[in-house]
Formats: sequence, C-alpha cells, structure tokens
Amino acid sequence: MTLIVDRPGPGPARPYRFPQVVRRTVAGGQVVAAHLPGQNLAVALLLLDAGAEREPTGKEGLGAVLAKALEEGTAQRDATAYALAIEALGTDLVIGLDWDSFQVSVQVPVDRLAAAVELLAEAVRTPKLDPDDVRRVRDDEATALRMDWANPGPRADAALRADLFGADNRWGRPMYGDPESVAALDVEDVTVFHSEWFIRPGTLVVAGDLERVDLDALGAAAFAGTGGGPVGRGAPIAVTPRDGRRIILVDRPGSVQSTLRLGHPAPHRAHPDHVPMTLAGTVLGGAFTSRLNHLIREVRGYTYGIRGEFGTSRRFGRFAVSSGVQTAVTAPALVEAVGEISRTQETGVTEDELAVARSWRAGQLSVELQSPRAIAAALTTLVVHDLPDDYHARLRESLLAADVAQVSAAAAEHLHPGSLTLVVEGDAALIRDELAAAGLGEIV
Amino acid sequence: MPDSGYPWPIETTRLDNGLRVVVSEDRTAPAVAVNLWYDVGSRHEPQGQTGFAHLFEHLMFEGSVNVAKTEHMKLVQGAGGSLNATTNPDRTNYFETMPAEHLELALWLEADRMGGLVPALTQETLDNQRDVVKNERRQRYENVPYGDAWLRLLPLLYPPGHPYHHATIGSMEDLNAADLATFQAFHATYYAPNNAVLTVVGDASATEVFALADKYFGAIPARPEIPPAPDGSVVPGGRPAVETVTADVPAPRVFVAHRTHPFGSAGYHVVTVLATVLGSGRGSRLYQRLADGERLAQPDLVGAYGVDLAHAPAPLIVTATARPGVSAERLSAGLSDVVDELATVPVTAAELDRAKALLSTAWWRQLSTVDGRADLLGRYATQFGDPARLADQLPALLAVTSEQIAEVAAEVLTAADRVTLTYLPEETS
Repeated sequence: MTLIVDRPGPGPARPYRFPQVVRRTVAGGQVVAAHLPGQNLAVALLLLDAGAEREPTGKEGLGAVLAKALEEGTAQRDATAYALAIEALGTDLVIGLDWDSFQVSVQVPVDRLAAAVELLAEAVRTPKLDPDDVRRVRDDEATALRMDWANPGPRADAALRADLFGADNRWGRPMYGDPESVAALDVEDVTVFHSEWFIRPGTLVVAGDLERVDLDALGAAAFAGTGGGPVGRGAPIAVTPRDGRRIILVDRPGSVQSTLRLGHPAPHRAHPDHVPMTLAGTVLGGAFTSRLNHLIREVRGYTYGIRGEFGTSRRFGRFAVSSGVQTAVTAPALVEAVGEISRTQETGVTEDELAVARSWRAGQLSVELQSPRAIAAALTTLVVHDLPDDYHARLRESLLAADVAQVSAAAAEHLHPGSLTLVVEGDAALIRDELAAAGLGEIV
Repeated sequence: MPDSGYPWPIETTRLDNGLRVVVSEDRTAPAVAVNLWYDVGSRHEPQGQTGFAHLFEHLMFEGSVNVAKTEHMKLVQGAGGSLNATTNPDRTNYFETMPAEHLELALWLEADRMGGLVPALTQETLDNQRDVVKNERRQRYENVPYGDAWLRLLPLLYPPGHPYHHATIGSMEDLNAADLATFQAFHATYYAPNNAVLTVVGDASATEVFALADKYFGAIPARPEIPPAPDGSVVPGGRPAVETVTADVPAPRVFVAHRTHPFGSAGYHVVTVLATVLGSGRGSRLYQRLADGERLAQPDLVGAYGVDLAHAPAPLIVTATARPGVSAERLSAGLSDVVDELATVPVTAAELDRAKALLSTAWWRQLSTVDGRADLLGRYATQFGDPARLADQLPALLAVTSEQIAEVAAEVLTAADRVTLTYLPEETS
C-alpha cells in the first residue's frame, strides 16, 4: 500500500484571537468596531432595537415593509437616484431582521465606507415614505410572501410557532409575517413604526481595517438627527411544554417529500445552561455527524439532511428539528427522529460524541470568523445580548470545558420528547392514515 | 485599492505523479483552507449514467482504506473544521477549512480517498447514498415551484450528445441503475493525482505544504491516459427554442437564456459585466424597466447571471416573475425588449461604473476568506493551467467598455438564437 496508514496528530496549537474590539460613544450613539488589518473590504451595520418582537400583534411584517420602503426615495433624492448612488459605491442596503433587532448594512471596499454609511443613514433616518410608494411596496411584499409560501416550509414553520407560543402572541406568529398580515398593513402603521423605532440612535457596528476608517465620522453620519434613548425590554417569557405529543398535518397535495418541523419551547439566550444546551443540541442534531443526521440520512437514506438545535432569542427559545423526507417514509422517519430525541433526553451523550461537538463548536470560532461580514455578525451578537468584548474567548473556553455530566444534564432538563409538536407538511391523502397509526400522538 | 486582483503570494509545484500543488500563505488568522479540484464533472458522463459524478462525490465521504465509514466527517468536525464538496458540469471540488494545526490531518484524509477509495466502497454505501441523492433531487428540484427550470434549460441550450445537455443531478432512472462496478471504474479513471489540483491557503508556508503534499500524495500512482470529455466547444446556433410549462406555481415566470462565451475568455468577461448592468440591483436595467418602470415584474425576482462554465459557450440566464394581473406574454415581451436593447441602446458611463463597483465588492468578498481564495486558485490552475491568472480577472472586468458590451450583445444575444422557458400557473377552480 502506497498510502500513509497512520493518522497524523495535530501540530502545535495556534491560538485564535478575536479581533481587537473598539467601543465609542459618538453623537449620542454607540460605535462598536473590530480591527481587521489589511482587509480591503469593510462592513458597517446599523443595529436598531426594531426587531419583529417590537411589531404589534396583528401587524406582522411591518419591519419588512418598512425596510423596502426605505429605498423608495429619501428627503434628498428619488428611488432611482438613491439606487444609482449606493450601487455606484459597490453595495446595496442589506437588511437583516430577527426577533431581537433590525439590521441594515453596507459592504464596500474600505475607502468607500464613509460614503456608504452616509447613504445608509439617509435612507434609515430620512426616508420619503410617500403614501403611494408605501402601499405599492406593501402589495409587492405581500405578493413576495405569497410566492415564498408556495414553497414547502413557511406554512409548517408557522404552524409549529403558533402551536408552541400561541397565535395571540407576536412571538407565536411568523417572524416576517404572512401574506395576509402584510396585505392588511396601512401607511400609518409604517410611518408610526418608523418614527417610534428608526430615529433612535442605535449602534453602529464596523468591521474593517480601522487604520483606514474614521469611526467618529462614521458615527456622526449614522447618528445625525437622532433622538430618544433605549427602551426597556420585557422579561424572559416562560412557556410550559404541553402535556403529550401532537401532530399537525399541513396538506400539500402532490408533494414528493414531507416537510418536517418538530419542536417544543426551550429557555431564552441568557439562560445559564446556554453552552451545555448548545452542545447537547449539536450532538443530537446540530452537525453533519449528529445522531439525527447519522440515522435518518446516513443509515436510512430517508432524507438529504436533517437538523435539530436549540434556537434562542432574548426573551424566548425553542428546540426545533427540520427536514424533508421522501413521502413514503414519513411515518418511520418521524418515529426514528422522536426515538433519537428521547434517547438523548434519557441517556445523555457519550464522551466520543461530545469530544467532536465541543471541538467543532470551538474550532468554528476561528474557521468561520474570517470575513468582515462574519465579524460584524459576531459584534452584533455582543451588542444584542449585552456580552463583553472577550466573549468569544470565554465561549471557546467554556465549550472546551463542558463535560459529559453537564451536557447530559442539559439534555435531560431541556429536551421534552413527550411534549413535541410534530408538524408534517405533505400530501395528506397519502400519509394521514400511516401517521395516525404510528402512535406518535393525536393528529389535531 | 490594489492594482492586482490577488495581492497575496502564490507558489506552485508539481509532484512527480503529476499532482499540482498551489499555496498562498496568509498568516492573518490561524486557519487553513485545503481544496482539491478534480477535473471531472457531469460533462464526462456517458448517456445512461447521468448524475454519476455527483453521486460519486457523496461516496467520497463514506470512508477509504485507512478511514472507517463515518470517520471522515467526524475527524474533520472533531478537529474544528468545516467541510463540503460540490459537483458541476465541469469539475468536482472537495474542501475543508481547519484550525491551522490540523492541516496534516486534512491532507492525510484527502490523500487516503484519492489513493484508497475503491477497496472501501460497498454496495450498502452505494445504496444508501443513492437514496440520499434521490432525496436531494426531490428537495431541490422536484418539490419546489420552478425548481426544475435548470433541468429544462440545459437541453434547450445544448443538443443531445453535448456534454452540457444534461444536468449534474442526473435522472432518477439513471441513478436507480447505478452499479458498484461503474463507480469503482469511475474512481480509477478520474481520481488520479495528475487529474487534480491541491490548493492550500492560509496559515502555512509553501515549503511546509510542498513537503506534506509529497509525504501524503507522493506515492499515489499517476494514471497514464485520462479520457477527455466530449468536445463541446462548438454549439450549433441559429435556432430559437421555446418551451412552456404549466405547473403548480404561484405566478408566471419567464427565463430567457443564451449561449455566450466560455468562462475565462475575453468574451465572458464582457458577459459578466453585461449581466450586472442588466440584472443586478435596483439600478439595473431589468429592475428599472420591468419592476419599477412598467411594473410588469415582481421587484425581488428579476435577475441576470452568467453560469461560470469553461468548456463550451456558457449560459446567460435572464429571469423575471409576473406581478399579479400581468400575463406571461406581456412579461416575456418586456424581458426580450430589455435584452435586445443591450445591442442597440449604449450602456452609459454611470451604468458601467455601477456594474464595476458591484463586481469589485463581490470580488473582494469572495477573497475575504481563505476558502474563497483556495477555490478560485484551484479553478484557475485546473481550467487555465496557471493559478496566477486569477489576479488578472478583476482588472479584466474593470477594463470592459460600453462598445464591447454592445458588440457581444449583438453577437450572442440575438432573438434568432434565444431560449425562452415560460412557467404558467395551473388553472384553479
């Protein structure tokens, strides 16, 4: 045999250091920046406390419609002139919206960053919000959602969320809204949401070569004309897992796969068990090597992939599994997935599995945090969750220090296989009887 | 901004067995990207074996002589690394990004599956991954609205027998017929060191990588004759193709496609800028004319892009989706008008500057990670014989003129040579 038989061990460890973090108060707002020496590209991201959770119940999709409306012209120029000005710098406005924040960012060669931030601020702080434009953008967004909801997934996601958290709560409804909620928005909803949340200063996150960036000037541009302080947030929402499993069947006639969404409520982001929960989730479903992916994909061949993990935001969290499986194996795939969740809850993780999970999560901190975009996202995590500058270094240490007992205890405590809601979006006529017979729970 | 499109060192060598090795050192972060380009893709597949190159890619993760089944992923993830592989008509690439101290592990794993896959290949593994790939086909192409557009466009663009006629995912019928011996032969034929490029970018020196490459890959024998794919460089044109599909889709959607120039050619540089003028961003012609102006198209769903294929005239795909109340005919006519005008209405300096600025950002974004750099270096080494040609790509794009765009549009975007694929929603009761 010509190949080297023995697997090589690692070379000397080369410690990863998160870039130096710079924090400044400028013009009433906060600037949080990371220095990336020699990097040609830079990202600036304005972080506003205007996440989906700030949308009133019944007004889901408000943030997404406002995001589109920001680009329909400003106090200084019309929509076309704005598009040409910002794209001539090599960027568009990139919008990110989650439960906890609204993010709008630009990504440009570093020498164009100042001009790009000025244009970003122009759209966010002084949009024209002409009523005709807002109505048109709203109609377009409703159509875009209707198109998106023709794909498998969004309806199943909505059914799971409503069942876990209750559709009478904002966090029990889809993060981006649905076609009906968006279509029902009016112009005033949008202008009021803007005046309430988009002229508070917020935080400007910058990732780039700070020797070629004037942070004070960027902050001054981003926070010009802003006012109002931070607004308090509610306490974490405790949701009690329900008694007994249930199945929700979402009919999609002709579907050649069943889209699976399994879940139950779980703790919020700041819970002290965050790290062991993350690792338990990684062993169960968070990595290619996970128990779920191994069994359902690599042994059974039921799917192209299956993932499961704890998802957490500031006020609430959930454990959720997602996959698409061939229609004919819907029931056995569900039985086996529930089986792996139960096994993990009952007997915990093994040292072999945990060794992979903790090294992988820790290693990803150096492997995935390379681009300005990735660094900006990491800084955003610091701001949204009030974490210290050395958070990533501490996270690495706590990941590597977590032992089998801690992670197994987190699995025992935070997995609730008996309380799962099993959402199945597929061809109901083909799968209903088999699901009813599988003994997994009542179809509701 | 630097004058070169690649302001990092590039060093190359070739082992005695023909394996080309490319190294680009960058000590910024303690991470290293390892990337293998094998010069085999779905263009090599004979009739009746569509989808085999891609299914084979799956088998490469299932163990080799010194790596047990399931161990490959476990070793890479257990070292903190990210990994994946992709197959397209031209080539198959395998890549992992590792904390730098695990470089040697990555090279050992790649060498083991290059030199020792066949003895570990079993019927059970093949059957399992065949099922996985069939589910990949269902998930990505069959179970989503418009998901089969690419499967339909390719045979309209390229005639039977052309290496790009069929899609990389293959047909269910061929996947069902795949037998073990074919895959053993596939590996023996194409997975040879002289048919591959190994690229390492990041926290490692060229000297170190060259020595490790020789240690792990050096004894894998070269294969003397590797059969080439069928020649696809000339595609007979002059025949418009039209296909209309009625399906379970939420709105009419139109694709206009043309054969242009091969990736890497001067003509394709022009097509890249042209596609950006035409379809990228709110300042693009498609957005301004169809989404904003006449309001025929859904704003988020207009676009134009070249598909980076190097062994035949590469496709340019232009697409738009109708706003409620707009017919497919009206949208299709509008789309054709905007494409036709590329030859007749000169691209302005502002349009050109906008496109070049967007392309510059996209360029530096791709180069902002070690894995992005490794894949591009491997591409240029594989397809053009010289990774350093990568540095010329950005300056070449920035040198494209308005006149060149009009010339190329007049040459390759004629209505007589156009493929039009239209989706219509089923009648609902």
